[in-house]
Amino acid sequence: MSPLKPRVLIVEDDPDLLVVLRVNLTAMGVEPILAGDGRTAISRIQAERPDAVVLDVMLPGIDGWSVLEDLHAMGDPVPVVVCSAKKDVEDMERARELGASGYVIKPFDIDRLVDAVMGAVGRSRGVQPGLAVELGLEGPELA
Amino acid sequence: MFERAKIPDGDRLRREAKVAGLRDFRTPSLEAVERRRLRLWLLTTIVLVVVAAGVMVVIRPSGSSSGMLSEPLLRLAIFVLALAFCVYALEKEFRLGRATRLLTDERVLTAALTNRLHEASLLLDAGRAMNSVLELPELLQTVLRSACELLDANGGSVMLVEGDELVTLCVRGRQEAVGARLRLGEGVAGHVALRREPVLIEGHVDSNEFPGLADRPPYVESAMSLPLVHRDEAVGVLNVNAAAGRAFTEYDLRAVAVFAEQAASAVANARLYEAERAHVAELIELRHDRVGEAG
Repeated sequence: MSPLKPRVLIVEDDPDLLVVLRVNLTAMGVEPILAGDGRTAISRIQAERPDAVVLDVMLPGIDGWSVLEDLHAMGDPVPVVVCSAKKDVEDMERARELGASGYVIKPFDIDRLVDAVMGAVGRSRGVQPGLAVELGLEGPELA
Repeated sequence: MFERAKIPDGDRLRREAKVAGLRDFRTPSLEAVERRRLRLWLLTTIVLVVVAAGVMVVIRPSGSSSGMLSEPLLRLAIFVLALAFCVYALEKEFRLGRATRLLTDERVLTAALTNRLHEASLLLDAGRAMNSVLELPELLQTVLRSACELLDANGGSVMLVEGDELVTLCVRGRQEAVGARLRLGEGVAGHVALRREPVLIEGHVDSNEFPGLADRPPYVESAMSLPLVHRDEAVGVLNVNAAAGRAFTEYDLRAVAVFAEQAASAVANARLYEAERAHVAELIELRHDRVGEAG
């Protein structure tokens, strides 16, 4: 019920990863919402205004790059953490140009991804990452 | 902190639905939530209309109000009632919103699982079809047909490595390409066989990127070329062209890569079988010759 509870949209087509990310983010006091493809992601971002988005680039139908391009074109300020199996510098640069706030290479360490997401949530709420715990954006008080 | 994570999502959903007023909630349904939301706002509208009528009655010209309650008290009571009802409606709306989100999450998870099962089932079917065939020409037809079905493609080809060349042995679409030869490293397929890396083609192909590429129609808008690698050795290349209006993505490439692994093993087995059969035929012929000579 807390109005401070951050909401994070997880965009991923792999059901196992969806569940793992949901459980881990819930444990961090985040309310996760899910999307399995690009179209659902765009509609849920517009309808539910999440504090951050975890975006897999390889999706059925509209892929993650198209979602990122759409958000960039719409000027949507939601911070996006991109997940990709590609290590190419060009891809990282492309994500940065399209306004992504983080880039995590798969297979990823779940703790690193959660840290990146919490950092993005902190930025979304105008909080420096170091102050996130103090202001209740992390930790048990929101669980 | 971890208390919440332990509550199964189904239970959370049922709890939210019950608090929101869906008493008979057993099967998750977005439609039931929407119906409840409609009823809630209909009720809210009716109550507010009744309250407005009540207020109009109360503030009639002085002297006309009568009864046990004084006018200011009556006004206050109506105001408190209206406020309490608004709080009730907003709380229910909040719960309904959460139930909608949880139901949508469940649908997303179900869809992801269904897609995964569909993919696995197609791959299983393709694997079964490939393993049931030992004759190389028939196997190549099966590989190409399965790949086209898997990707909703309209054509393609299978090329096998012979020495330092790729030979086109099976084609769907441009039949005149059967028998065409390409050196390893030449064109898109030669590049794929040499590097053993799949290539996703979108739009016009740059001949500088793929030296030796024949620049001739028909041009494809979207295509994929995958190496068939068995035991670290390239045995061939699978090429698939997208149907008009369809564009392959890296997601498709990943899905068909698993299929290509199975196809490569099947091709290697079929070639082994073909070699063994030739060897047996040779031995039988030799035996006949010996018997003839002895006779």
